[in-house]
Amino acid sequence: MRRLPVIAASLAALCALAHGVEPGMAPVPGGGYRPLFRGEKDAKEIAVAPFLLDERPVTNGEFLTFVRANPKWRRSQVKRLFADERYLAHWGGDLDLGKADAAQPVTHVSWFAAKSFAAWRGKRLPTTAEWEFAAGSGFTNADGAQDAEFQKAIARWYATPSPDVLPAAGSGRANVFGIRDLHGLVWEWTSDFNSAIVTGDARGDTGLERSLFCGAGSLGAKDTANFPAFMRFGMRSSLKASYSVQNLGFRCAKDP
Amino acid sequence: MTIHRLLAATLICLPLLLSAFAAETPAVTTAPFPGPEAKGTDLEIIGEEKAMLTAAPNVPPPIRRKHATKVVVELEVREVVKRMADGVDYLYWTFGGEVPGLFIRVREGDLVEFHLGNHQSSKMPHNIDLHAVTGPGGGAASSFTAPGHKSQFSFKAINPGLYVYHCATAPVGMHVANGMYGLILVEPKEGLPLVDREYYVMQGDFYTKGKFGEEGLQPFDMEKAIDEKPSYVVFNGAVGSLVGDNALRAKVGEHVRLFIGNGGPNLLSSFHVIGEIFDRVYQEGGTKVSQENVQTTLVPAGGSAIVEFALQVPGTYILVDHSLMRAFNKGALGMLKVDGDSNLIVYSGKEVDAVYLGEYALPGSGKGAKLAGMEAQMKNAIATDPKIIAMGREIVMEKGKRVYTQLCFACHQPEGQGMPGVFPPLAGSDFLMADTKRAITALIGGLSGPVTVNKQTYNSVMPPSMLSDEQIASVLTYVRNSWGNTGDVVTVGEVKKVHAENGAQ
Amino acid sequence: MKFLLPILALHIATVLADDVPATKKDADLPPCCRTALAAGKPTDRSLYQLESTWTSDVGRKVKLSVLRGRPQILAMFFSNCEYACPILVNEMKKLEAALPKDVLAKVDFLLVSFDTRRDTPEALAAYRRKEHLATERWTLLRGENDDVRELAALLGINYAADSRGQFAHSNLITVLNAEGEIAFQQAGLQQDPAPLIAAIGKITNSAQH
Repeated sequence: MRRLPVIAASLAALCALAHGVEPGMAPVPGGGYRPLFRGEKDAKEIAVAPFLLDERPVTNGEFLTFVRANPKWRRSQVKRLFADERYLAHWGGDLDLGKADAAQPVTHVSWFAAKSFAAWRGKRLPTTAEWEFAAGSGFTNADGAQDAEFQKAIARWYATPSPDVLPAAGSGRANVFGIRDLHGLVWEWTSDFNSAIVTGDARGDTGLERSLFCGAGSLGAKDTANFPAFMRFGMRSSLKASYSVQNLGFRCAKDP
Repeated sequence: MTIHRLLAATLICLPLLLSAFAAETPAVTTAPFPGPEAKGTDLEIIGEEKAMLTAAPNVPPPIRRKHATKVVVELEVREVVKRMADGVDYLYWTFGGEVPGLFIRVREGDLVEFHLGNHQSSKMPHNIDLHAVTGPGGGAASSFTAPGHKSQFSFKAINPGLYVYHCATAPVGMHVANGMYGLILVEPKEGLPLVDREYYVMQGDFYTKGKFGEEGLQPFDMEKAIDEKPSYVVFNGAVGSLVGDNALRAKVGEHVRLFIGNGGPNLLSSFHVIGEIFDRVYQEGGTKVSQENVQTTLVPAGGSAIVEFALQVPGTYILVDHSLMRAFNKGALGMLKVDGDSNLIVYSGKEVDAVYLGEYALPGSGKGAKLAGMEAQMKNAIATDPKIIAMGREIVMEKGKRVYTQLCFACHQPEGQGMPGVFPPLAGSDFLMADTKRAITALIGGLSGPVTVNKQTYNSVMPPSMLSDEQIASVLTYVRNSWGNTGDVVTVGEVKKVHAENGAQ
Repeated sequence: MKFLLPILALHIATVLADDVPATKKDADLPPCCRTALAAGKPTDRSLYQLESTWTSDVGRKVKLSVLRGRPQILAMFFSNCEYACPILVNEMKKLEAALPKDVLAKVDFLLVSFDTRRDTPEALAAYRRKEHLATERWTLLRGENDDVRELAALLGINYAADSRGQFAHSNLITVLNAEGEIAFQQAGLQQDPAPLIAAIGKITNSAQH
């Protein structure tokens, strides 16, 4: 009887491979993504091609195997240009998780580290459009805006403080695509996180923007009630590529 | 003839020509409008100090130094769960762990070096927009800070005044709605006039999924915020923050200054202190006293006001937003407890508690009789109430003093000492204190002929006073109870009785 | 005659040492594409740790590390801006004119394009001619999408393409020291140039070359 889950998992993996899907990744169909910030003359919807996305964020355990194989990404060896002083601060040492749990999503990783991990696995980071498109799906409705339970869960995360101990990656409820923890666990890196032209407030079209950003005068937020999306864009804007943040992790994508 | 005409024409045309020329070359008479350079950029910076930041309702002490300095402000953003109301918790986003954020006090011309840290446990990036900053975004873009990171920027406090600061990270309304606001005071060069107490009160509106009072950790409700339908409207971040043991304190006779802010995000405040009148209002937190004797002052969302008042009567004063449903149903209520001696002249407290039947009771009807009976009862209650009697006495003394200083003092002198040999004294006068009726008669009809006062003889003429019965009663009460005299109250009834008796004679 | 042989030898040696056809001298090439200046390992904070390959407007493929040894003033741009005149490049040209002659002799200017699709080496060369960017001082580079994203992230530059292929981007001028480390950055346009000029002066004082 005990072998059953193992057999089931193996079968699932085989099935996935047979379908050309990597284990642990779910196919996300193509579709239209409505960007939060866009120019007046830009199309309301941009096309997102089908892609594969990790079902859950990358874990401490998986990242450990990465740094074992890639010494230059170990905490004591990484170059400051590619990761700041807080890189893997929650681990005990270079190859020692310490109090961190292998199943928890890895955090305190910079964009460069996340990118390198993805490349090492033959994958890449999702683009912001891909990530937001996948995250737009609710638990029971592909259009998350219509899914009340889903919206409530998102709002609840913003209303609660960061937990002292992060739950395991993949423990959240799956959305319609079978992907978990896009909301409610950790912020996640995207390949073009620095495409967010937000100075920090939504006041738009001021002289400030025109001086700091070329061409941003025409950009406006299209859905000001979608405050979780706003906050994700705000969060991405506050980041620099070398930042290692306590509640920021990542997951990988792949072309089908 | 033609020459004359020519001359006349020239004489007429010449001024016109000249004025035409004058019009083409107008003289510049107006001085240029004072530009930004004119504002305090010339104050030299001497030295450096670390700003003392305080949590509401306290403020840092007034600035004593007479020069501008570099002030280092270290402020940390923390997201903390705190009590919103009994049984109700909320995840506040705070400047310095408090709502409203810590109070910053600097002086006009100071160079402020602002260090904004965002605690690593924060979920969100944050920044700060200080309305006191002259420069784009009030510093917001410079200070956009991810969790676990720190930003630094500097600005010169060019404009004095009381300014709001708040987080300006998108979506701004939500960050402000979660409590990210506070006040920064830029004292004018010459400082503010000294008062006995200064306090910091800041109003804000909060939007929760649950109704007012619904228990548990309440999430923020964006829809309610957009619809501007708050669940809570409170002072200093929570229901009851200035109530009971947390009330503001002062003493009778003290001058109080309130630095009032309104973080919003949405509502205006009609700020009022029940039982007090603001002697001076610095409207919208500016540097000029804009109005005196104000009952209720408007504090805009994202704005401030400074009010000053002196306390004459002890008791508990209620601070409210006079949009009353907010005060009594959403929490916009605070207290100022004032200790000290009573001052019954200014406020006597409730004098009578009686049934009020209304004016419409027909005479002769059963109701009318009942009403008459009740009125008699009321009169009796008033007459016998010791507090009223005591207060009545004080009022009478005041009135009597006024009469005395207008009329009697001319002869009997301000301290009742009289003029030796000419006018008899009232202070310590045996003649006065021996016989009230005689005193009343003297005031009504005058007094002449020789009198012996304190073993001295006086023979002068005191004319009739031409005072009303009330005035006679009050001035006699006054002289019989002043300058060492200890007598009793002389009532109007006694005066009327003397009238009647004299009339009968 | 005795001197002719050494002179000839010297000439041949320099020609052989030169990576480029003998017809082009160093002065005719942008800073990226002359003989490499300094060998050695890049420091921990040096941008020259990047392994990415870029193509200059003269067609040569280089790694950024070829610029090591001389301070660089760099910005990211694209040549088909429809919004207004190329403001940022103008800011850099103003800077070029404002720097003292001795400082100017010690620094190079670097422009890297966001527009991987349209800014081909030929397009960049046309842009150089249009904007009169001196060959001996200005390097113009283009690269692959991922590399552009990576460099922008390192510099702290945010950018996004819109549907028409225009780019909204941060206006940031960065000064790299001779080691390729970020020494100074100026955000925004029409700022007071004094701090930037002072920073460049300080770096060139401590530079070897």
